[in-house]
Amino acid sequence: MKKKLVSALLVSTMAVSAFVGCGAAAEETPAADSTESTEETAEASTEDAIANLIAATEGTVNIDLWCSETEEYQTVMKKLCDDFAAQYPDVDFNITLGAVSEADMKDRVLEDVEAAADVFVFPDDQLEALAKAGALNEVAAQYTYDMNETDTPATVEAAQYDGKQYGYPFTASNGYFLYYDKNQLSDEDVASWEALTAKAEELGKEVGCETANGWYLYGFFKGAGCNLTENEDQSNNCDWNNETGLAAAEALQEIASSKAYKSYGNDDLLANLNDGKVVAYVSGTWNVNAFSEAYGDGYAATKLPTFKVNGEDKQMASYSGYKFVGVNAYAENTGWSMLLAEYLTNATSQEAVYEATGEGPSNTEALAKASSPALDALAAQSEFAQLQRVGGNYWTPAESLGKNILEGKVSQQVLDDAVAGITQPVE
Amino acid sequence: MKKTWKIVGRHIVLAVLAFIWLIPVFWLVVTTFGVEKGINTNHFFPAHWTLANYHQLFFEPDAAANFPAWFKNSMIIGVFSCLVSSIFVIMTAYAFSFIEFKGRKKLMSFSLILGMFPGVLSMIAMYFILKMLGLTDSVVGLIILYSGASGLGYLILKGFFDTIPTSLHEAAKLEGASEATIFAKIVVPLSKPMIVYTVINSFLNPWMDFVMVRLMIKSKNAADWTMALGLFNLLQRALVNQYFAYFCCGGLMIAVPISILFIIMQKFYVEGVTGGAVKG
Amino acid sequence: MKKIGNYFKDFGQAIAHGDIWVKLSLIIMGAGYFGRKQFVRGILMTVLQIGVLASIFGVFAPYMSKLNTLGTVQREEIFDIVTMKKTVNNYDNSLLILLYGIIGILVIIAFIALYIGNIKATYCLQKMQENGEKLNTFVDDIVSFKNERFHITLLTLPSLGVILINIIPILFMVCIAFTNYDENHQPPTYLFTWVGIKNFVNLFTTSQTITFGYAFVRVLIWTLIWAVLATATTFLGGILLAQFINHEDTKFKGMWRTLFVITIGIPQFVTLLLISKMFGDNGIVNTFCSNVGILDFFKNIGLLNAADSFIPFLSRPGWAHITIILVNIWVGIPYQMLVATGILMNIPSDQIESAKIDGANKFQIFWKITMPYVMFITGPSLIQSVIGNINNFNVIYLLTYNYQTTNMAMANSHANEVDLLITWLFRLTNEYSNFKMASVIGIVTFVVCAALSLLTFSRMIGGDKEGVYR
Repeated sequence: MKKKLVSALLVSTMAVSAFVGCGAAAEETPAADSTESTEETAEASTEDAIANLIAATEGTVNIDLWCSETEEYQTVMKKLCDDFAAQYPDVDFNITLGAVSEADMKDRVLEDVEAAADVFVFPDDQLEALAKAGALNEVAAQYTYDMNETDTPATVEAAQYDGKQYGYPFTASNGYFLYYDKNQLSDEDVASWEALTAKAEELGKEVGCETANGWYLYGFFKGAGCNLTENEDQSNNCDWNNETGLAAAEALQEIASSKAYKSYGNDDLLANLNDGKVVAYVSGTWNVNAFSEAYGDGYAATKLPTFKVNGEDKQMASYSGYKFVGVNAYAENTGWSMLLAEYLTNATSQEAVYEATGEGPSNTEALAKASSPALDALAAQSEFAQLQRVGGNYWTPAESLGKNILEGKVSQQVLDDAVAGITQPVE
Repeated sequence: MKKTWKIVGRHIVLAVLAFIWLIPVFWLVVTTFGVEKGINTNHFFPAHWTLANYHQLFFEPDAAANFPAWFKNSMIIGVFSCLVSSIFVIMTAYAFSFIEFKGRKKLMSFSLILGMFPGVLSMIAMYFILKMLGLTDSVVGLIILYSGASGLGYLILKGFFDTIPTSLHEAAKLEGASEATIFAKIVVPLSKPMIVYTVINSFLNPWMDFVMVRLMIKSKNAADWTMALGLFNLLQRALVNQYFAYFCCGGLMIAVPISILFIIMQKFYVEGVTGGAVKG
Repeated sequence: MKKIGNYFKDFGQAIAHGDIWVKLSLIIMGAGYFGRKQFVRGILMTVLQIGVLASIFGVFAPYMSKLNTLGTVQREEIFDIVTMKKTVNNYDNSLLILLYGIIGILVIIAFIALYIGNIKATYCLQKMQENGEKLNTFVDDIVSFKNERFHITLLTLPSLGVILINIIPILFMVCIAFTNYDENHQPPTYLFTWVGIKNFVNLFTTSQTITFGYAFVRVLIWTLIWAVLATATTFLGGILLAQFINHEDTKFKGMWRTLFVITIGIPQFVTLLLISKMFGDNGIVNTFCSNVGILDFFKNIGLLNAADSFIPFLSRPGWAHITIILVNIWVGIPYQMLVATGILMNIPSDQIESAKIDGANKFQIFWKITMPYVMFITGPSLIQSVIGNINNFNVIYLLTYNYQTTNMAMANSHANEVDLLITWLFRLTNEYSNFKMASVIGIVTFVVCAALSLLTFSRMIGGDKEGVYR
């Protein structure tokens, strides 16, 4: 009997000591902020607001900033943060930079919003998920510039969700276009997929686009005239199984049946590019260094090629891509985080980022000074590019549809099933 | 003569098997000496050879890659988790094998059932438990995480303990040895080969994990990461073309401690043979 | 039932017949010990009582009181554009309510058990005193942990670890399966709540758009086939390899073992990544196969279509399944060899000797003596390794992370042909934040595993086989 008792005693002393630790931690969480809102309707100038903020700030302001882990990014952001701190000499800043892949930003932030960075850079396709989870702070006011005046309307609109502004436009070059080697391909060759594959077959080289990926696949169907839109409840509308859709799928199947046409994932693309096999490929600015190194003086980029649907040339469409700076809704210092986000996205900062990374600014003033083959290609493609607004049920069925096309299995049935999956209701 | 041919044949078979097993490793090794920084999985041998990747690995840490720091972190976590979990496993296995106590079989069945729940699912809960204890982002937290539930992995060792004759156990008891003494002086020395296996296994888990640690380490400063986390991160789209060779170097270096551990522990296997002879 | 009845009967008797000290223990748990002049125990017990009660009321009570709704106050924030300050209401966090609630309940259960045990123990002390027996001193107690209670010394810490790292998270995830925790209900900003068994109903429903049921059956079948094949192949292979290396004619045993073990040393995400590239549609193996004519050979015997320009090692169902099993043999055999070597070293040599004298040949010795011996030690752990393979995330995920299915019905529920239940639910949580469905799948996986293994396991440890080799 005593045996039992002492074992229980041992167990619970352990338990107690564990709970003592957590008791302290628990007290720190929600320290009942009062909900009273001071409804001041008085129009105050932005300088006053910043002055208020400086006056109200005591001690060190800690801000975490997460951005891409590439060396160029980290260096330029570090410098911009230092410049920002220098602007407010009365305030003691402690800005910490963190390295997070942009593609993973949403996952890292949503794992634990409260522990995530105060300010972070993320690509536009994550805006919806982040906003939906309540992780983004609404841009309720701007203090140092007005994005509606300085940035292109498309980028400002892209950073909105449900009618609210959630992100500060940062770069406008996250879409895709065609890289090619101008020493081997002429302008006519890259104008259409038919000419491109024919020429590549002749050269014994490879061209292509990651077809089994909804992000790229969209370009073909949209280009042919089909539609994919998102409803308010995050389900999708999709008409890819109509006659045009079938024709587009068959056209793409025809193109993909060429020996020269490849659908590489990023790793395979880079491996074959470095081998000199790939002479033209649909990709984006994240691979700009790889392509310019591989093609040397033949490095060139252009808008996406056309393709023939029902005997008619159709321009391939694309998703336009942006990057935004977001402020965490759970940021410790919301005011300062907003000011930092503004600073990072103003004209001079965007210019600095462009110079360091080659990514195209969203700020019109900075954009005017930026020029490179990749950015020019994006500009040429921009009139055929749409903002990515699509519900989560799109991706897996679309990937599977792409794979069916690549394997030459296109049929009305496959398209019907794909559309059923894409448009399945969201609970 | 026939015997000689048989022996030669035996070694040829082993060599062929070893060759098959080592092809990917060999490929990894040659890739680390290539000049191409980016991914190149189409060739076996690099076009040009260099040692620059190793220089970068050891002496040029940057924002995305900091191998020396990773190695240190992983080593600390690995060694302590290994210690704690080996001890837990040995203790559990001993208790279940040698001591007849009330509810023993029930506890064993229960522990087996526990192991069946998919761990991936409980990661979020584990994270918030550690957060509650204030241990996220800390070495202690990770050690608890890796070694806490290790007691469940006692089955193989227990099976081994079951072959140690009870007569030994009883004889020692008659001479007045306590359970603790029997445990430390008789059973543990007899079981060296399997304890070696347990130790290696306990070390491998924290040393190689890249799924759980991603959630548990919140710091985004590369110097705070573990090796597996850092290396896995280099496979990101934006980095892979710059760091693939680095990744391979790191992957190879990870194997060094394991191999050393194993070579040292080879000698226990030899002892194991004599250990087995004790029981007639 | 009877046991439970007795448990409380003893408790009632203790209270009824206990003296003043036992009754005082109902309020101050250490009282019973103070009365028998056992001060150290008394102090420990009282401190413990205060600590536990404080933690229950101080920390857990607020969360437990909201367990029935999982919180009602959603987060609201107001940003004042003039002062640039944000005010936030005192909101509920469903996730923390659930987690802390579960822990709180466990603490209370443990405390009640302790409380009842304490009363009984003090009553027992009283009786011992009345009978004039010697009462154990505190030192006696400590010593007993080295002897008759050694198993408690051994098991306490491991059990605590298991409760913290294993049991609490499992309870938590089981609860999630009965809530609507998905991408539209993510704490801390949004609340989730109980929805009953709706998610389970979804799993077994199949319509044109909801294909969870369709995908589930296929994924489950492949998971089971995989688990059995993967375990069997590596287990046998490992023993054979260990046996082969251990043979007296083999020279440089240590070197051979080390060569195989090196492959364990390199992390799976490195080697498996390389292997998945090697066997990729455009990888080295494919180049090699088309150069030496294996590709054409496969076409001739009808395994591939004439139009195929590569062997789809990891990109087509069937092919991918076989490649995965083969690669897993590559991964698993060195581990099994390590285990088997350790075991074979200790095999009773007298048995083999006498079998040899009786004229048994090698195969007979292997099957009649070696295998039963190895099975005896590793038998129970084999089941564990089948379970381990059901939940083997690494191999499948790393080899097939870019596998694309052409089966639209699978794709519509985010699954594919080579998915195990575990990789499927990983994708559901990681990419689609669909925690509720992932939990449901997790529970079903769990039930399947438990059913399968309890059948076999109870035979293994229940059949009193433990003493065979002693």
